[in-house]
Amino acid sequence: MSRPQVIPNGYYWLDQTARASFRLLARRVSRRSFLGRLGAMLVGAAALPLLPVARAFTQETPTEVGDSKTCEYWRYCALGGTLCACCGGTHKTCPPGAEASPITWVGTCRNGADERDYLISYNDCCGKAVCARCGCNRTERDKPVYFPSNSNNVLWCFGTEARTYHCTVAVVLGEAPEAN
Amino acid sequence: MALALALAVLLLSGVVDAADDAQARYLLHCRGCHLANGTGVPPDVPTLVDEIGRLVATPVGREYVVRVPGVSQAALDDEGLASLLNWILETFNADTLPANFRPYSAGEITEARKKVLADPLTYRRALRLDGTRAPN
Repeated sequence: MSRPQVIPNGYYWLDQTARASFRLLARRVSRRSFLGRLGAMLVGAAALPLLPVARAFTQETPTEVGDSKTCEYWRYCALGGTLCACCGGTHKTCPPGAEASPITWVGTCRNGADERDYLISYNDCCGKAVCARCGCNRTERDKPVYFPSNSNNVLWCFGTEARTYHCTVAVVLGEAPEAN
Repeated sequence: MALALALAVLLLSGVVDAADDAQARYLLHCRGCHLANGTGVPPDVPTLVDEIGRLVATPVGREYVVRVPGVSQAALDDEGLASLLNWILETFNADTLPANFRPYSAGEITEARKKVLADPLTYRRALRLDGTRAPN
């Protein structure tokens, strides 16, 4: 079958199938019961986005407030290091030539725009000499080094080619759990 | 009909809520090192995929999983830790999880957390997967 024919044939098939199924539906189901079911389906479909799974992990991009080149930016609430946003990268991407460490530590920060807590991954960018244009040291919910997995005092250049620290980015992973 | 549907949505949302919390706890307490898909970065960070399902097949292995410092010292209460471990097992270890696996309970976590693992690597090397011998 040549390509131009496929589309009209497809429409014809769709047309036939739809007509046949609506006739079958009309013969079998009373109008009232059909409207009842349709209503239930509409309510169900409308309720689906209210499920927590849809809320928690699709909202990767919360409303942004503030300047990501300053330490006061909301995502940096527990960042200890220097800001990649001042070094040719952004608040979530490494500058060219630097490699993001896959191993990070994860904390939570409150976004002032929607007053919700988000999970933030502090990835160090590695393999170039330190870029110290914008230093930043904030310690909200940061833990001492005896909790290394929650400490911003650790250099997180693990699993990278080179272990030199360049700067740090802050990636939103999703909404924070109710009780951490 | 509509009532049944509404009820189903409510029930489902409860189930999803619990799984959702466990996933968020995973992101907060484990993901930094073990990565989003649990594979870790060997040799620095061991994998959580399939290996843990094999370990929990014996009582000693089951207890070891809780006693590992990263688990036992996590900033979570026993109940939260139990649900997080069960989530890791169901999510990353479905293929190796024993058919008769009982989910961790908070009480089991309480007991295992009392036993400090002073030398995890030596203990792990001595740990036999068939569970015939409890290492010292």
